Amino acid sequence: MDKIKSDFKGEIINTETIAKDVCKIDILSPLKTAIAGQFISVLCPNTTLRRPFSIANFENQTITILFKLKGEGTSYLKKLKKGDNIDFLAPLGNGFTIENKKSLLVGAGIGIAPMLFLKNTLDKKNIKNYLITGFKSEEEIIKGSDKTIVGGSVLDYLDEIIKSENIEIIYSCGPTPVLKGISNISKKYDIPSQIAMEKVMACSIGVCRGCVIKLSKNNETINASVCKDGPVFKGSEVIWD
Amino acid sequence: MGLENLKTILKNNERSFEIKSPIIGASGTYGYDCEFSDFINLDCFGAISTKGITLEKRLGNEGERIFEVQGGMINRIGLENVGIEAFIKEKLPILKSKNIDFILNIAGSTIEDYEKLAKIADESKIKAIEVNVSCPNVKSGCLEFGLNPDSLEQLTKTIRNNYKGFLIVKLSPNTSDIKLLAKAAESGGADCISAINTLRGLGIKVEFDGTKFSKKSVKGGLSGSCIKPCALYMIEEIRSATNLPIIAMGGISKLSDLFEFMSVGADAFQIGTANFIKPSICTDLAIELSNFIEKNGFKNFEELKNKIKEIK
Repeated sequence: MDKIKSDFKGEIINTETIAKDVCKIDILSPLKTAIAGQFISVLCPNTTLRRPFSIANFENQTITILFKLKGEGTSYLKKLKKGDNIDFLAPLGNGFTIENKKSLLVGAGIGIAPMLFLKNTLDKKNIKNYLITGFKSEEEIIKGSDKTIVGGSVLDYLDEIIKSENIEIIYSCGPTPVLKGISNISKKYDIPSQIAMEKVMACSIGVCRGCVIKLSKNNETINASVCKDGPVFKGSEVIWD
Repeated sequence: MGLENLKTILKNNERSFEIKSPIIGASGTYGYDCEFSDFINLDCFGAISTKGITLEKRLGNEGERIFEVQGGMINRIGLENVGIEAFIKEKLPILKSKNIDFILNIAGSTIEDYEKLAKIADESKIKAIEVNVSCPNVKSGCLEFGLNPDSLEQLTKTIRNNYKGFLIVKLSPNTSDIKLLAKAAESGGADCISAINTLRGLGIKVEFDGTKFSKKSVKGGLSGSCIKPCALYMIEEIRSATNLPIIAMGGISKLSDLFEFMSVGADAFQIGTANFIKPSICTDLAIELSNFIEKNGFKNFEELKNKIKEIK
């Protein structure tokens, strides 16, 4: 029986440096399905634990991931060349639930990765969308957005866009302060938000409870694992520390 | 496909626990009901030790819970679990439907907690329990029982009096003499020892952003291949103190690790951290072990184990 989720072997078919310390790799594998917001968990021979990466695109059996050079896991990935093999678990977690609504997509830094996949998906479905992303400096810009902010915070631009574009739903990925801000803005305008969270993971498939966050559901506080219950959560349900 | 030559019977007097393979998924790394089944072939699978279950549901520790170190990791999950009632009602039927052998891992804060858990396990006809007396990640409770031989013996006796199945006591390595703990568990009526639980560890990362320093730290239980030498030492010590069967764990991830642990007296194995790296590791190792036995003309795992134990 073919299992949808599995431990895959893939082949690197393209590697590219797309911004300062940011690389893109394309992986050809037998993976059959993946949606924006889901991730893969890569076996890195030089680290104890696997490393999770958001899927930045999935087309023609090819997964694209983007990563920022940060530590030992990403330094392994950076060294991979066309033709090399890679071992990964996929497709992991729950992705974005797409709604036929005017969508605002907000990506901060490398958080742009799942937003690019989501934008691609929305475009294919002819759902009107607007992607805004923010980066610390010019040289760190990853292309593909409708609006790019350098320095400052993407949050400062959202009021205007929500009004002028008649936004009905927000999707976002980025550091916690940005996601918290998105959650507040969606409350202010009473529009739904879906946010992709990040946390250090051990198992990446929901068993170890290492990456839990707290959610408020039906007035009860519950734990949810970022890797299996997430990484995408409703912004209104996340309890911020 | 079954692996006939791996059948393992852990036995103490009239009580025994029979599993398809001596390779068991360690508590905390296999969930409650083998949520790994997307990734593994269950036909070759020995058993799982469930996530540690307490009387009441627990949300576990706040803050960061995982810290990666060279050759291992530190965790401070803090026994997050659904509680025994939800386990029996929701998880047990799943384990049964998947036909997976399991060991119920139990943890408590007081002797009464363990007594109640033992009674529930007995009423539910659970074949084997593993008593967590050594979790380093909760503020009160189980580690204190685990480090004092007298209280460990008393605790084991209480559980024994309330539970008729196969009783495994999981020992802590955070002690000056693990032999005393093994003897205490045996005197209290344990059928089997499992060891080692995680070692106390502190992971620290100091970062400098050009102007100021910041520090991240996680204090908890250290596991992974880096603890194997300590685990081997402890298993040898335990074997010198008792003839009870021993389920060994601590950094196991390959066939040669199994041989090393057998050579110091292990009768079965648990795999923990390695599951996070390769979810199919338990079945992969079982197949490798079975093939080794067949290829080299041994009758079964039992014979191989005895041969390795005899090495001088």
